[in-house]
Amino acid sequence: MDDVATKIIEILKKHMKEPMQSIGLETALTDLKIESLDLAMIVFDIEDSFGIEIPYNANEEASAFKTVGSVVERVKSLKAATGG
Amino acid sequence: MTAIDPARRVVVTGMGVVTPIGTNVPEFWGGLKRGQLGVGPVGGFPVEELKILIAAQVKGFEPKVRLKHFKRDKLITLADRYSWFAAAAADEAMQMAGLEGPIANPYRAACIVGSGAGGLVTFETAYRDLFIHKKLATHPLTLLRIIGSSASAHIGIEFGIKGPTFATCSACSTASHAIGLATDYIRNGVVDIAIAGASESVINYGTMKAWQALHVLSPQGCFPFSKKRNGTVLGEGAGILVLESYAHAKARGAKIIAELAGYGMSSDAQDMVKPTIEGPREAMRMALEDAGIAPTAIDYLNAHGTATADNDRNETKAIKEVFGDHAYKLAISSTKSMHGHPLGAGGGIEAVATIKAMQESWVPPTIGLDDPDPECDLDYIPNVGRDKAVRYAMSNSFAFGGLNAVLVFGPPPA
Repeated sequence: MDDVATKIIEILKKHMKEPMQSIGLETALTDLKIESLDLAMIVFDIEDSFGIEIPYNANEEASAFKTVGSVVERVKSLKAATGG
Repeated sequence: MTAIDPARRVVVTGMGVVTPIGTNVPEFWGGLKRGQLGVGPVGGFPVEELKILIAAQVKGFEPKVRLKHFKRDKLITLADRYSWFAAAAADEAMQMAGLEGPIANPYRAACIVGSGAGGLVTFETAYRDLFIHKKLATHPLTLLRIIGSSASAHIGIEFGIKGPTFATCSACSTASHAIGLATDYIRNGVVDIAIAGASESVINYGTMKAWQALHVLSPQGCFPFSKKRNGTVLGEGAGILVLESYAHAKARGAKIIAELAGYGMSSDAQDMVKPTIEGPREAMRMALEDAGIAPTAIDYLNAHGTATADNDRNETKAIKEVFGDHAYKLAISSTKSMHGHPLGAGGGIEAVATIKAMQESWVPPTIGLDDPDPECDLDYIPNVGRDKAVRYAMSNSFAFGGLNAVLVFGPPPA
């Protein structure tokens, strides 16, 4: 697992009420039992850590993100786009 | 006196405070007894080129310890400092009242907890992040921390209150207005029980600069009614009461601490900073009328006493107009000399000081009063408190904008 994935999993664990021990790239986001406000905090932390902006609206289903791996991929592409 | 159904008389069954001289009622009362000074060097943020370098700040308040046992409100420890103070004071008041959340009859309960300015410390942090540190976003909880009704919402969630829940906002009269409104709700049968008061925590660089620009802060200290007084000192904290109808308190066997016998509200409708004598006088007169007592029945008056020349002289004149000769026999003090000016929370903290004075038959002093202003010639209990039986007591709150609210407390109904 690379630095981006490690950092994202660390952020996820920080915001989970009951952190799961084994979070991998294939872990489904729905399994993490994240509430809407926690999601906003996770997005903020990821944005702050990587200096990116994640297009995300709390009123819409985050269908683009199914697994932890899909978040990692998206962060990598946003980082590349911003020259980060 | 307005005819009030005896069963709907309003009684106090719980009190809670967070102040710079004690973060619960016993500590606060101990501080008042000792004449403790809560004012010190301002800190906790870069003071940069501030000219006013003192404030009355709450020290040693640990939200993760004090609010650890909160069950229903999962976000309280992530809230703004003003919500922490409110939650801690409400929790203490509810414990004293012997009540636990969720409240048994949730739609018959109100939570009216105001704030003069809401989460200003959060505001400043967020704007520093955006404008100075060029962050892309504010912290996601910024909005929830800032809003002036978040303290009432947090308390309402923790105690499962589903009736009227909102904040009042009237600068330095915020808490007294909240307590007055709650009293009306109980008297009129809207609810049977209410958590009411206010909280404030605005001491940061921007707030200090704003107050400094108004030139009403003292660089030396808060010396109400004194010749040397030269302005007020910003404070912070919360003061909250649990109010109930007499019938409700009796039915559950609650210990009644005092009666909220009357209150008065008025507005000067004249000037943002220059108070009238009429407005405060009418608020005091209405509170006495509402309580159905003569001015001579008041034994102790907790003055607004901000240590600004305008307030102290004006309040003294207004007291003389209401009380006549009795003004000179009345024990009056400004506890702001010890806990500073907690703005919106003032009326709540001072209500607790007033009720404690009744309970303990001891009236707190105005400290720093060695040489009174000749225009302030009443008995302001200089420097040392004294034993005194207090049957009825009044607490004054007079805010910027000329917004006045006065509470009168009396003994538990016989």
